[in-house]
Amino acid sequence: MEKIICKKTSKSNGELLDSDNAFWKSCAKVKVETTGTPLANQPSPYIKGVYDEKKIGAVKELSVFSVHNTENIFFYFEWSSSNPNREIGDINVFPDGLGVLFPFGAIDQTQIKEMGSKEYPTNSWYWRPDFKEKPKNQVAHGLSTSTYTKKSSVQSHSSWNNKAWRLVMSRPLKVSGKDEETVEFKPGGTIGIGFAVWEGNNGERGGVKAFSKEWRELVLEG
Amino acid sequence: MAGEENTLTAREKELAKGFEAAKDNLRKSDKQVGMVMDLNKCIGCQLCSMACKTLWTNMEGREYMWWNKVNTMPGKGSPKDWEKMGGGYKVKFGGKVMEPIRGKHPTRKEFGDMWTYNWNDVITNKAGEVHLQAKNPDGTTPDWGMNWDEDQATGKYPNSFYFYLPRICNHCAYPACLDACPRNAIYKREEDGAVVIDQDRCKGYRFCLEACPYKVIYFNFIKDVSMKCIFCYPRLEQKVPNACARQCTGRVRWVGFVDDPKSLIYKLVKVWKVALPLHSEYGTQPNVFYIPPLAPPRIGTDGKLDSSKPRIPREYLRFLFGPEVDASLDIMNTELQKVKNGGKSELMEILIAREWTHMFGPYTVDPATLERKPDKKGAYSREDLTSLLENKKI
Repeated sequence: MEKIICKKTSKSNGELLDSDNAFWKSCAKVKVETTGTPLANQPSPYIKGVYDEKKIGAVKELSVFSVHNTENIFFYFEWSSSNPNREIGDINVFPDGLGVLFPFGAIDQTQIKEMGSKEYPTNSWYWRPDFKEKPKNQVAHGLSTSTYTKKSSVQSHSSWNNKAWRLVMSRPLKVSGKDEETVEFKPGGTIGIGFAVWEGNNGERGGVKAFSKEWRELVLEG
Repeated sequence: MAGEENTLTAREKELAKGFEAAKDNLRKSDKQVGMVMDLNKCIGCQLCSMACKTLWTNMEGREYMWWNKVNTMPGKGSPKDWEKMGGGYKVKFGGKVMEPIRGKHPTRKEFGDMWTYNWNDVITNKAGEVHLQAKNPDGTTPDWGMNWDEDQATGKYPNSFYFYLPRICNHCAYPACLDACPRNAIYKREEDGAVVIDQDRCKGYRFCLEACPYKVIYFNFIKDVSMKCIFCYPRLEQKVPNACARQCTGRVRWVGFVDDPKSLIYKLVKVWKVALPLHSEYGTQPNVFYIPPLAPPRIGTDGKLDSSKPRIPREYLRFLFGPEVDASLDIMNTELQKVKNGGKSELMEILIAREWTHMFGPYTVDPATLERKPDKKGAYSREDLTSLLENKKI
């Protein structure tokens, strides 16, 4: 399984939660291939019947980098989007988006294509430009079940220029409280990780998106 | 998808079965409420629209919504040109295959503007100095509305015509919105078959707005969720009829169970077969039915009544209500004639609706008799109003 190393750094939260910080420019990012979700996984007969699978998944590749400073974990993303959709400007306008997915349990038991199952749920962080840099924390027990938790400790900073989004999502390594069911990151430990990207201009929302078909292993430096 | 059947993996087949079962379950209901609206009686006063507005859509993000509206026909309606936006189904093999048709999202603008008038300027200035003008909140001039075609007739005087078409969600037996929702947030209520959107499950993806061929679903930009007519189910639960029906001054609307042979709705839809669904070819099996308009007779070139052809072209009524409209109008004409000749007609008795409360089936409770705590926010009590009036504050 492909590994993504979450490097340990002494940089401050402020420096890191800045998508335009020179630090992110210089780091060696991991390229992740993303592909359109299969129609067979769409719980909606309407989407299955009228959408063209070949047109789903406009974003083909994501650049990812991750660090932690023993307090917080940071994910940096970069992807092409020629026209940013920043908000729901009209009923037929869909904002861009990015999601990071983690299995709560064993990677090999958790279906990335189905966002987990009843027995093996997943946690995801969902960013959209119109969420005002307050990404949502979600729990899913399979397709069509993702639900926002009451609370989310995920923060973000994003910018769009040169026809690309740059985004940092960050969160304390450990979060407790019943209102935010979420995964825990341990320096020296590993966890599965997956990604999804929505290109608003292509009408992508919900399960109509590009995603990484396989789990990667996120390895946190101790 | 039929061609792809063989290429599906075992897991994909299993998923497909599960998705289908989930939708079948959401579509199930023990009973089915419905409404019949008599287009011969509707005077386009929009009391129904206002009743609905004040009850359901005067809240945050819902201001532009009209869960109930009355459109002038023939017209583009609201959202503008909704009949050309697609959605619904191609029904095949007697309903065994429901092939969804791709729909288009209406835009916010197509639903209509929300304008105000410069009443104060007109009143406080010298007569003729300031003219009454409509303005949108952003200063632009409105160019579409919920009933923008109001009272615009089609055809040539003296044989021009228009009629009103009140529209709510059709609470379909096979709702395209329910099928479209990937979140399984839309379902038919088991107890009455009303189609509702679970506001906690909805994430505002708007596939329902795309799929509904009647374009009666709205998007709440503030809450990021889809919303629509809920058939006043909280009132039905208290045995109070829908606000639009109870408020109707023209006794246009009947409410009841479509599948109850004792209900007047059943009699109008299934026994007399005069009440018809709108655009049944959309394939969703609506539970709102219309008594088509008979319209006054034409006037010939000699100034006399000309009954050789109808004032409203039959082709147009067939477009709206299907070929069954011919039989419906024939039955009504026959029954009308019977009464004119001094006879009695059960159908005409129902349509006249002498007893207002009989129109609402089991929903006979007067909401004023309910024990409830009214929301005081922004509302006046009778006492408040009296004291304000006495002190000439309003």
